[in-house]
Amino acid sequence: MDPFLYLDRDTWVHRLDPRTKMLLLIGAFVLAFLFVNPLYGLVVLAIVLAFGYAAKSLTNLRRIRFILFMIAVMTVILWSVFGSGETPLFLFVEREALLYGAGAALRIDIMIVAGMIFLSTTRNEEIATGLVKLGIPYRFAFAVSTALRLVPTIAATGSTIGQAQRSRGLDLESGNIIQRVRKNTPLLIPVFVSTIRSTNVFSMALESKGFGASEGRTYFLKIEMTRRDALVLVSFAALLVAALALRFAGYGGVEGFSR
Amino acid sequence: MEPAVSVRDLAYTYRGQKDPALDGVSLQVAEGEFVVIMGHSGAGKSTLCTSLNGLIPHFFRGRMQGEVLVEGRSTREGKVGEFAKEVGLVFQDFEAQLFSTNVALEVAFGPENFEVEREEMVRRVKSVLSQVRLEGFEDRQPATLSGGQKQRLAIASVLAMEPRILCLDEPTTDLDPIGKLGIFEIAEELKNRDDVTLIVVEHETEETLDADRIIVLRDGRIVADRPAREVLRDVKLLEESSVMPLGVARFFRERGVGDEELPLTSEEGIKEFEARGWRVSPERHRELVEADEEREQSYGETLIDVEGLSHRYPNGVVALEGVDLSVRRGEFLAVLGQNGSGKTTLVKHFNGLLEPTEGSVRVDGEETARQGIRRLGQRVGYVFQNPDHQIFSDTVFDEVAFGPKVRGMEEAEVGERVEEALAAVGLEGRGEEDPFVLTKGERQRVAVASVLAVRPEVLILDEPTTGLDYAEQRSMMDLVRRLNEGGSTIIAVTHTMWVVAEYAHRAVVMKEGRTELSGTVREVFAREEELRDASLRPPHIVSLGNSMGHTVLSVEEMLRVTEGG
Repeated sequence: MDPFLYLDRDTWVHRLDPRTKMLLLIGAFVLAFLFVNPLYGLVVLAIVLAFGYAAKSLTNLRRIRFILFMIAVMTVILWSVFGSGETPLFLFVEREALLYGAGAALRIDIMIVAGMIFLSTTRNEEIATGLVKLGIPYRFAFAVSTALRLVPTIAATGSTIGQAQRSRGLDLESGNIIQRVRKNTPLLIPVFVSTIRSTNVFSMALESKGFGASEGRTYFLKIEMTRRDALVLVSFAALLVAALALRFAGYGGVEGFSR
Repeated sequence: MEPAVSVRDLAYTYRGQKDPALDGVSLQVAEGEFVVIMGHSGAGKSTLCTSLNGLIPHFFRGRMQGEVLVEGRSTREGKVGEFAKEVGLVFQDFEAQLFSTNVALEVAFGPENFEVEREEMVRRVKSVLSQVRLEGFEDRQPATLSGGQKQRLAIASVLAMEPRILCLDEPTTDLDPIGKLGIFEIAEELKNRDDVTLIVVEHETEETLDADRIIVLRDGRIVADRPAREVLRDVKLLEESSVMPLGVARFFRERGVGDEELPLTSEEGIKEFEARGWRVSPERHRELVEADEEREQSYGETLIDVEGLSHRYPNGVVALEGVDLSVRRGEFLAVLGQNGSGKTTLVKHFNGLLEPTEGSVRVDGEETARQGIRRLGQRVGYVFQNPDHQIFSDTVFDEVAFGPKVRGMEEAEVGERVEEALAAVGLEGRGEEDPFVLTKGERQRVAVASVLAVRPEVLILDEPTTGLDYAEQRSMMDLVRRLNEGGSTIIAVTHTMWVVAEYAHRAVVMKEGRTELSGTVREVFAREEELRDASLRPPHIVSLGNSMGHTVLSVEEMLRVTEGG
């Protein structure tokens, strides 16, 4: 399996400076949190997806569609049950609680989708270099990009280990919830052991390539802010200001919802 | 002139270990030399490598005595990073040492750390990629490369720091024959450069012929440090050190040729064979072929039946196309082919891990898709390549008991089966030990036992000998042979050609998702040209027999059919 989420496509989104994309990502988080009303949330989602479409990176969303769907369903159910509103809909569910739940689900999914598009269009090295240019020490920036790399690698190892254990008769599908959790031991321990072993080799390889040998560092990757970055940032800032104004004018909430 | 590397009376004990990993090791390597280090698992080969760039003593914890001088400077005096510029170290596990999103960035990582100017980096990236024949791969993700390409990239990423000493720790262990060849071609070129000193840990004896010198380690001590051909002629020394001796040399030695005159390669062997007026007896060879035929008669009914099998992965890659194959009870089948040829995809159909996208796979007459992996797992056991991908228990007993337990067997029955399985793999009485502290060879045995405990009729082994030394490989394969003679049907996926020659009955060669060759091992190994097309090469002793017009599979067979002199 491919250990990276990055999709090597040549689009204008890919060509943006990593710093620009980090700011856009933060902006997307702010937008997601601004509105509770799912209709407004849908607009934000549409904007995020438009970026993803322009970056030809929507294919990566298929890798996480199950997670997105489960989060959405769980959030809607939880808020519908535990929130309360004024207009009864069916059983003990009120219209406002359902709307709020849908809005909350959209919030979480928007953030995941935005994060996914960010990782699909930005190389690990670009993230590290971008963070360094923003004044963060290289060692810390490198740790962030290494962590990002580690997650999919662990997933790939986990898939091999799953096959090995299923071949031995491990059946994860049956039993009650506690039994099922306990059944994961044959998966977790080998994943843990293999990861520690390969991390050990990884750190030896880093040392052997002179990591941290000298104070400074040069960069093979050139990143620079261009007019395109400025244009994107300015238009996005304008969008953000407009959204803030809209929200403070009282739009985008769910009337009559209480916990 | 000052030697590139000078090791003086080096001893090293890892923290928490009683015995030293290296003990009283002294050696010198001159600039531009090509030295091969050999020895059994745990002989101290990797420890020696990691002491060359200061990982020992700076990275590992333990007790070091003696001194390592690199270009005259003691490794104690500086950080690993400082020596990295002098000594490039490439590790066996190439997956774990690649971490960039494209090939060019991977290569540039070392120079970046040494504050090399960007223009110079661009130049170096271009130059080292052409040295390892990865031109045009600059923008590829390392994960999409083949095993051989990954290892070449790992070498390039170290070469980019322009070290004067390059140390490769078992660079070919996990590679298929074509991947191995690529690495040796690079080594050959580096060897011809006077400014690069090359130190390679290698366990494939047939590949060490070009070295200037071979150093053999045993239990942390040097037992030989002599010119390569001299060491290779010392069959007894190699055997005692758990290093596989050359087949051709062993054959001539058994025939009474003196150590100094032993030919080493198949070409040298042919000349010597003819010069001595020896002949191959057609009658004796006929006996070997008849024994093969007799064995084939003794197989039982068809157990696995593959018809028109194609498999397409969800990402659209077609891994198998129109494969037909049948396996009978009692057979020992080897599945060969280079990485990505579809070997593993094929055998994963036999225990239901994969289902055909086209065609059918039947085990005992019933479609695998209808049986499901849980039910099939009782009949068809699958031992994965890396035992660390399945071991999870605190004791060997619990590990082996896992299969029978999840299948709901009674405790007494479980105990009986575990004892039986442990006895079968030669680990009787060791049920209370912690599997994580066993050697790789022993962990491999635990993995086999854990599959045997379910008493499967068919045993699939994926690369059962990778990462083991010669003695461990022998004992692993002797174990597999005993299981086969006890009635188990064996299917082994492997790159190790001498294992196929000496142990398997029948071989299937896969190429680009199709079966290229199929027949008894003797028939398949007779067709060297077609094997070469599939990037495979039989062992030297087989080539020697082939050039005499008669295919033999081992030194013992060659001895039996040779007469005269």
